[in-house]
Amino acid sequence: MRHAFAIAKRELRSYFVSPIAYMAMTMFVFLSGAFFSNMVVYYVRQAMLADRQIEQIARSDLQLDVPSVILGEFFKNEAFILLLVLPLLTMGLITDERRKGTLELLLTSPIRSAELVAGKFLGAFSMFVIMLLPTLPFYYVLHQGGAWEPGIVAAGYLGLLLVGAAQIGIGLFVSSLCENVLVSAFGTYGILVALSFVDTSASLARSIWADFIQWLSFFYHYVNFSRGVVALGDISYFATYLVFALFLTQRSIEAIRFKRA
Amino acid sequence: MIAVQHLTKRFGRQTAVDDLTFEVRVGEVLGFLGPNGAGKTTTMRMITGYLPATSGKVSIDGFDLIDHPLDVKRRIGYLQENPPLYPELTVRRYLEFVAEIKDVPARRRAAQVDRAIDRVNLGEVRDKRIAKLSKGFKQRVGLAQAIVHEPPVLILDEPTSSLDPKQRAEVRDLIAELRGDHTVVLSTHILPEVSQIADRVFILNRGQVMAVDTPARLAERLRGREMVIVEVQMPQSAADSHQSSVVSRQSSVDSRQSSVVSRQSSVDSQQVALAREAFEAIPGVSHVVVDPSSGPNLHVRIESAPGTDVRGDVAALVAARGWRLLGLKNESLSLEEIFLELTKDEP
Ligand SMILES: Nc1ncnc2c1ncn2[C@@H]1O[C@H](COP(=O)(O)OP(=O)(O)O)[C@@H](O)[C@H]1O
Ligand SMILES: [Mg+2]
Repeated sequence: MRHAFAIAKRELRSYFVSPIAYMAMTMFVFLSGAFFSNMVVYYVRQAMLADRQIEQIARSDLQLDVPSVILGEFFKNEAFILLLVLPLLTMGLITDERRKGTLELLLTSPIRSAELVAGKFLGAFSMFVIMLLPTLPFYYVLHQGGAWEPGIVAAGYLGLLLVGAAQIGIGLFVSSLCENVLVSAFGTYGILVALSFVDTSASLARSIWADFIQWLSFFYHYVNFSRGVVALGDISYFATYLVFALFLTQRSIEAIRFKRA
Repeated sequence: MIAVQHLTKRFGRQTAVDDLTFEVRVGEVLGFLGPNGAGKTTTMRMITGYLPATSGKVSIDGFDLIDHPLDVKRRIGYLQENPPLYPELTVRRYLEFVAEIKDVPARRRAAQVDRAIDRVNLGEVRDKRIAKLSKGFKQRVGLAQAIVHEPPVLILDEPTSSLDPKQRAEVRDLIAELRGDHTVVLSTHILPEVSQIADRVFILNRGQVMAVDTPARLAERLRGREMVIVEVQMPQSAADSHQSSVVSRQSSVDSRQSSVVSRQSSVDSQQVALAREAFEAIPGVSHVVVDPSSGPNLHVRIESAPGTDVRGDVAALVAARGWRLLGLKNESLSLEEIFLELTKDEP
């Protein structure tokens, strides 16, 4: 796996001189910040109204848990934003190597295709983690306001990392199928949007299929994390997606050799 | 060092490389010469392990490509037709990356990168982004990535094809300097180039080796000649079944000289000898090849000095002998055809 780190390192280096990676990062941080501040303002106002109402009806046993509402909403939003941004990071992963002819360099080097896939994934995943870093100060704000729920924050981030990893895996696979980055990006958008929202169609129908479709959906599993609930089932759900996507990517890279150069 | 046996590649119904067998000795420089589509790139891609062969074997330094792909790949430096570059990286970072994936141990990496940079004279641009370099420099970076792990075998696919004449000469000199340390296979579609660098040349066309020779002898053989192809029918000779040992030895020499892969002689060998002698006696004729193809007819290729036309003499001779002339045409040798294609874009 030594080679995987070399490839991941190279990928990161290239991200840091690529305008698209900066665009993606800026977009992510800006949208996250905007949603976050809007939400804080909105919920604080709502909470104050609610408090007053509670006072009026004089029931002290009702308590609004404002921080967890804010955090829950925030993490849900983050996952939507990722959906917009991650395909920009993954669209070129294999597509660019093919276009530049460097895939031939990689495939004629003494590395295994599994190492290549792992390296590509690690590169994009590290970039994603770096992209998440600027959101950390948001929690400092919450902490200062006394609305600090470390459990929910940790679960939320775990959920984000998992959903991000699965999305990157799928983007990587799509990229290995495409010779054009735009096709790669939009293909990934298509698949991710479908996978994220199949559960909305499931709620319309009532059957075993509906349950299955719901189970397929990213958000169905992700929502638990944003509520601070970490379940093994949800973790293995995302891990399964990732492993499956990486496996398909490896197969697809092997197949590229048989295709027209 | 490199052993290739019956290497074949088919794309669908098309055979891009057809049953290629050869060996390259340690330190030798082998040139593939052939027009576009001859199968040079496909052959190299199979040797480097990028393309799986349809059939056949490749081994490098005793390691079989199928059984020990990593050992083979470690021993090869490969420069593709378009150098595989990451334009966003600096020359040094790029070479460090290549050294790393080619298994150069960490403690030697910096030294080998420096050495590769020195050998291809990239010192002045080592910290520049590759995107900013000229084509000639990019090609040198391509060469540097091929040698950075100090592989015993270098595979260079048209290393000068996209360059201007001056850059081309530079790259050629570089390769000439590298030859001592490496076994080299390089391809080109420019004859003078291959003759300057290679010890041995394969002429490839449509996936087949048309000729193997040293560059000097090839150039000699290809230097302008006229060729006439005659098809004659000779009366059945009495001594059908007797094989003249002299003749068969001669014809084997012939087929080696012309390196035309010929089928087993099925035509009466006395007729062959008779025809050869007769045509060789025509003034101006330098070489006669009798193609012992099937059927009762003899196909004879008659080469003569540049500027001569022996068709008249040939026709007269055939008539005088009482043979039947079935065909007579002026045709360039197939090698020459190739050669023309090969050389037409040399400035
Ligand atoms: N990936 C491929 N799929 C289908 N045909 C191919 C592929 N690669 C090469 N060919 C065909 O094989 C033949 C040999 O090509 P190539 O090896 O590139 O020739 P050269 O390098 O000598 O110009 C050509 O006719 C080409 O069209
Ligand atoms: Mg080629």
